[in-house]
Amino acid sequence: MLLSLSWLREFTPYEGTAEALGDRLTMLGLELEELRHPFAALASITTGHVVSCRMHPDSDHLHCCQVDVGGEAVLDIVCGAPNVAQGQKVAVATVGSRLPDGTVIKKSKLRGQPSHGMICSERELGLSDDHAGIMVLPEATQVGKRLVDVLDLDSEVLDLSITPNRADCLSVLGLARETAMAFHLPLTIPELALDFSEDSAALPIDIQDPELCWLYAGRVISGVTVAPSPAKIRYRLMAVGVRAISNLVDVTNYILMECGQPLHAFDLEKLADRRIVVRPAREGEHFVTLDGQTRLLNSRDLCICDGQKPVALAGVMGGLESEITESTRHVFLESAVFQPASIRKTSRRLGLSSESSFRFERGIDQERSIWALDRACAMMARLAQGKVHRTLSVNQAKAFVPAKIAFAPRQADELLGLALGSDFALEVLKSMGCQVESGGETWQVRQPSWRPDLLRAADLVEEVGRVFGLDNIPPELPAMEFSLERAGEAPSDFAFWQKIRHWAAGLGLNEAINYSFVGHKDLDLLKLPQEDRISIMNPLTEDQNVLRTVLAPGLLQSLRNNLAQGAQSVRLFELAHVFHASQSSETGARETGILGLLLSGLRNDAVWPYTPENMDYSDLRGFLEHLLDALHLPPARFVVCEEHPYLLPAIDVFLGEERLGCLGRLLPALAREYLAHEAVWLAEVNLDLLKIASEKASVHFNALASFPPVRRDITVIGGRDLTVGSIAAHIQSMNLPFLEDLAFVCAYEPEGSDERHLSFRLTFRHPSRTLKDGEVDKERNKVAQSLINALGVRI
Amino acid sequence: MDLISALESLEPELEKGLDQASSLDELEQLRIEFLGRKGRLAQIMSQLPELAAEERPAFGQKANVVKERANASFEKRRDELLAAREAAALARFDASMPGRKPNKGSLHPDTLIMEEICGIFGKLGFDIAQGPEVEIDHYNFEALNMPPEHPARDMQDTLYITDTILMRTHTSPVQVRTMLARRPPLAVVVPGKVYRRDSDLTHTPMFHQVEGLMVGKKITMAHLRGILTAFVRGVFGPATQVRFRQSFFPFTEPSAEVDISCFLCGGAGHLGHDSCRVCKGTGWVEILGCGMVDPAVFEAVNYPSDLSGFAFGLGVERIAMLKYGIGDLRMFFENDLRFLTQFGA
Repeated sequence: MLLSLSWLREFTPYEGTAEALGDRLTMLGLELEELRHPFAALASITTGHVVSCRMHPDSDHLHCCQVDVGGEAVLDIVCGAPNVAQGQKVAVATVGSRLPDGTVIKKSKLRGQPSHGMICSERELGLSDDHAGIMVLPEATQVGKRLVDVLDLDSEVLDLSITPNRADCLSVLGLARETAMAFHLPLTIPELALDFSEDSAALPIDIQDPELCWLYAGRVISGVTVAPSPAKIRYRLMAVGVRAISNLVDVTNYILMECGQPLHAFDLEKLADRRIVVRPAREGEHFVTLDGQTRLLNSRDLCICDGQKPVALAGVMGGLESEITESTRHVFLESAVFQPASIRKTSRRLGLSSESSFRFERGIDQERSIWALDRACAMMARLAQGKVHRTLSVNQAKAFVPAKIAFAPRQADELLGLALGSDFALEVLKSMGCQVESGGETWQVRQPSWRPDLLRAADLVEEVGRVFGLDNIPPELPAMEFSLERAGEAPSDFAFWQKIRHWAAGLGLNEAINYSFVGHKDLDLLKLPQEDRISIMNPLTEDQNVLRTVLAPGLLQSLRNNLAQGAQSVRLFELAHVFHASQSSETGARETGILGLLLSGLRNDAVWPYTPENMDYSDLRGFLEHLLDALHLPPARFVVCEEHPYLLPAIDVFLGEERLGCLGRLLPALAREYLAHEAVWLAEVNLDLLKIASEKASVHFNALASFPPVRRDITVIGGRDLTVGSIAAHIQSMNLPFLEDLAFVCAYEPEGSDERHLSFRLTFRHPSRTLKDGEVDKERNKVAQSLINALGVRI
Repeated sequence: MDLISALESLEPELEKGLDQASSLDELEQLRIEFLGRKGRLAQIMSQLPELAAEERPAFGQKANVVKERANASFEKRRDELLAAREAAALARFDASMPGRKPNKGSLHPDTLIMEEICGIFGKLGFDIAQGPEVEIDHYNFEALNMPPEHPARDMQDTLYITDTILMRTHTSPVQVRTMLARRPPLAVVVPGKVYRRDSDLTHTPMFHQVEGLMVGKKITMAHLRGILTAFVRGVFGPATQVRFRQSFFPFTEPSAEVDISCFLCGGAGHLGHDSCRVCKGTGWVEILGCGMVDPAVFEAVNYPSDLSGFAFGLGVERIAMLKYGIGDLRMFFENDLRFLTQFGA
């Protein structure tokens, strides 16, 4: 809401600065966003008197003028405007001054004649589009004064952010009420005298649904002359961001800004049958609005109709056909109150928000609707020489009934944590315009018609706090009450996720956060199923039209961003939810917590003293093994998954019988889509399952062994299909009594051979004595022989 | 020269040689020359048979003494030379060689801020509560006193899944879910992702919030101020001042925007002659919204009317931007490693 300070001062005698007003209103909940100076660009323009004016000797359209601007010397100015004449008072840009478009006026010569300034048109001053001639000021204008002061322009405008509850503050009147209340000033509404010089029968007004239209009133103004408004009105509207159009339309906008009541002026001669019907639109009905657009209506849109057809979309926008034109002679001026929700529905559905719909959505002071109408009529009579008809056309389908609120002043003190007392509360409510029956413990408070937000005791508590100043409440810490009900509860998901995050960061991984939505095309690229996706109905872009079902697309996008920046080693992790459609969920979505890991490029950031090697399966698997270990979980099983849409190889990770997730290498063709020329390894693990498993895991202390371990290495030679897992599984299955640990040492595949050499280290230890070399050798040989027999390998 | 005097002359020569030996190699040469199998001592000893039998014991004794003393001298000199070599090596030790550095891991700034916030509220006695990111209209809006067509819905542009299911626009629906699931008194903070249909320089369609809710008997706005003062001092330092500005949220009444005194300029609005870049010269920085729980919200969850409570919600990215001096919100979700690794682990 743009509030002109000088306009406000017509309604309350506020003498302070715009800044002080802005500060106070801000603390009252009407936040000053910006203090504007709409005519700052005219600061250097002065007023002058054209002392003489003669035709330029060498031109058929230029004039040589002598202009008195109050200085010692009269200025020679060459002026090209056809309307310049001796004796005029004009706006002058003297040498050195700057026009709104940035032009700086210089001393010059036009066809040999000196020119020391410029006589300005309204367009050159940015005041209108008029450039037919120079701007002529009233005869009484003093010379050598600042134009801004002479025109009494609205030079200070407060841009206030009005919250949706404060419908009353969307007008000069409403903000004047707040200002008067805040600074203990009177409200001085300037009354406009209204003379009825004609009369005619009222237009019948038929309101079909009283729930949708509460009041509809109008007056006829005949014999109007459509013309531009006087400068004062045009400049004021301009200052508050409204474009001046013509005197009739300008009056409706002026009253809207001043009183908060939207009005609409119809060309009376275009209203068929001289009647008004307020009815819902017919399904599929077409209507052309003022902006020339054809709108398709439905039965939830409210229309203002004449005897035959819609003439306005109620509260939102008028119709093109019945709009005021230059030839309009008679006007029917509407002032109405509509149901806020209905206006909002139509406005939103058509994407058509206007100053009117904005106010109707928030609530109108119905008690002042006809007052505002008459104020507009008085202005139209003055500006357009119209004759206002005495008989009011009106149908109040639903009268305003003020809420009567039971309010105990101690409620305010109790909720705010203060001891303000009832006198203070009474003063506040009265200054708000409430009528208060204040006897006894509980008062009866009557809602003012302009405050749709004051309906309950809580709303009054807020007013008391607001006026006292929420910032003046002294801070105090509450005594916390704790309940045994929650003692011993499992830690939150948040706490568990934080633990995993710290684990990952501690191992040199970098946390990424990607949007929860991706494009369907991103999921299609990974050949993910379509049937369980959740689409966004109104996405911002095609790249964000579906919730991700896996973390991969986001992590891959992050990989691409980093590769584009020249990163050589990318080790990302992310903890987030993925979303799958689910009938059984009340939100239609199953949200699963996932830990995603992505590794690509060099294993180490540092060059020295590492060998430059790329990360591979062992790195990614190592992280997962380490994680399970850190959570005190048993080792997982890693099982090759035969079919996976985007990983090859793909390896499922099982904890017991439960599938925790999957890891693998992104198909190279897909990796190239994300700019990756090196292998990209991805893992996704279900955090929900992991959390449940880790809550069940328990830690048991193992006594420390007191006798030394004995180690033996064994190298197994077999075909290329020999796996580490098969050998380890076989050795484990032997259940050797003193085998404490079995570790894989290395794999060797000699060139030109079909063989694989796999070395393991066996660690033996006896709990109660030192093992002898001979015993251990025997155990090792037992292992060797068993492997030879069972797997057909050599040792 | 007789053998005794030959033996005696050996010692001063050896001492001289030892003094001159400047390396372990030279020392070894010297040792071979004097004490080797064919060294000078051995040569003298080889002439032993030439001595008369009665002279031999005395000579033998003498030779042993010389040999022991010579060995001791060699040892001493060797230790000296070894110590000198170590000292020389130490002087050349390159302590500027880089370490064997493990990879640097990092946490996202949002994670760090959420952890800090939840930690502070944890100490103040608040539990963590969480809820779904896909939410039904009822919990996101209606139960929070925003019926359909309420103009306050304009404050939050919404991404819809269906007409009644949406991406939660704030963490506030978790207030409702928590109150439905638990009996008062309660105090919770709710960290999480939220979504708005908004994308420009200062808005991303997804961001993070931490919501707080405390409900009990006789909870006042003074308590809200107390808790939030404790919170902002925890994040921004003990001198931080709090300012409450009247505002409006449908689910709280009274409602306030909370500003803190600018932590960069200390509330002065300027640093030297320059206007402060953080508070833009105002001395205050907007940090969160809060208020007393609206009775309509208690009604929606069937809580008794004699309860009171407060709620607050803050934007995690905003706090991260203020605290770390990050200028561009969009960087939070581009995951550029040069960004990610700046904040900590």
